[in-house]
Amino acid sequence: MTTTAVPAQTFAPTRRRFTVDEFYAMAEAGILDEEERVELLNGEVFVMAPMGAAHADITDLFDDFFKASLRGRARVPVQGPLRVDDTTLLFPDLAVLRPRTDYRRRLPEPEDVLLLIEVSDSSIRRDREAKLSRYAAGIPEVWIANVPACHVEAFHDPVDGTYQSSRIVPADGRISPRAFPDVELTVGDFLFE
Amino acid sequence: MTTTAVPAQTFTPTRRRFTVDEFLAMDQAGIFHPEERVELLDGEILIMPPIGPPHADGTDQFDDFFKFSLRGRARVRVQGPVQLDDLNLPVPDIAVLRLRDGYHRAHPTPADVLLIVEVSDSSLRRDRDAKLSLYAAAGIPEVWIANVVDRQVEAFHDPVDGVYQSSRIVPADGRISPRAFPDVVLTVGEFLLGDPGSEGDETGAPGTDS
Repeated sequence: MTTTAVPAQTFAPTRRRFTVDEFYAMAEAGILDEEERVELLNGEVFVMAPMGAAHADITDLFDDFFKASLRGRARVPVQGPLRVDDTTLLFPDLAVLRPRTDYRRRLPEPEDVLLLIEVSDSSIRRDREAKLSRYAAGIPEVWIANVPACHVEAFHDPVDGTYQSSRIVPADGRISPRAFPDVELTVGDFLFE
Repeated sequence: MTTTAVPAQTFTPTRRRFTVDEFLAMDQAGIFHPEERVELLDGEILIMPPIGPPHADGTDQFDDFFKFSLRGRARVRVQGPVQLDDLNLPVPDIAVLRLRDGYHRAHPTPADVLLIVEVSDSSLRRDRDAKLSLYAAAGIPEVWIANVVDRQVEAFHDPVDGVYQSSRIVPADGRISPRAFPDVVLTVGEFLLGDPGSEGDETGAPGTDS
């Protein structure tokens, strides 16, 4: 075998990554359909898993709870866009955002986020591994609502892309967003068989 | 741990694949820079590796030879797209195409292709494994992988069900013709001059292995 100096990494094809602006240009050009559920993670366009009944129901319950309990104190978009950085645009199940008046001109960014909730059934591993490290780029608090396990995994204190603290709150446990300690919920009211 | 029935395959995220039409629409929408070299393989948009001197030179040599020897008999496209199917628009180094009108309206399809030549240096494995099977699946009748490193041409023929049924290695001193043009004969070593750094020293002994 004649192994002249050919670096191994040049063998792997390199995917063309896209910026958030290019991603929106695709939508504008009609390449990505408005009904299409896609997101941009590290410059790559992924198809979002279809929502199962439990995922949709739990998202509704959290939405209803936070819309009622945070009225006038936060904005709570459901599966709205979040511009994490120039190459990542995600649609978290629920975002609790600082109230601002300019969201119609600019996408929410990490510094606007007080709490993110991702409901995970089939997509648990992906949410945990890929998205969580992106969220840790500055989002102060993330809850992963783990449907099969009936618990919430809460992540705090992001430093250099990793959450420094986390805890598991079981179905009978109670939890509040750090930004709103007065707003408390029981996990089992949202996650149940 | 309560492991309810969550099928394992749903864990892997699915990349959004793009069709050739969507890929071309991206270009129309100005998403790609004019200088950007990308191709669509299996619905994925891949950046083509930069072309090194041996690759560029080999491509030029084949281009010059075929343009001259096939003048009036075939169209010779250099690093231009060929549409294999809805999800594949590779950009081969050389495509020898049937003469016909209409290439300004739509990219050539497999029915137009008589021979594809891929010049390979750094991208050897990729060209061999990924693109070769795509060409075979599309029914491209003949593909030459011009291996700059080993100074040989690997010729593939007779695609059946995505696999070339016959192949042969033509060394630097060997001669080869496109099947579609048996009268057009070339000597491999005149096209693949090798890496100037290794010229003269026979460390590699081309063709002794693999």
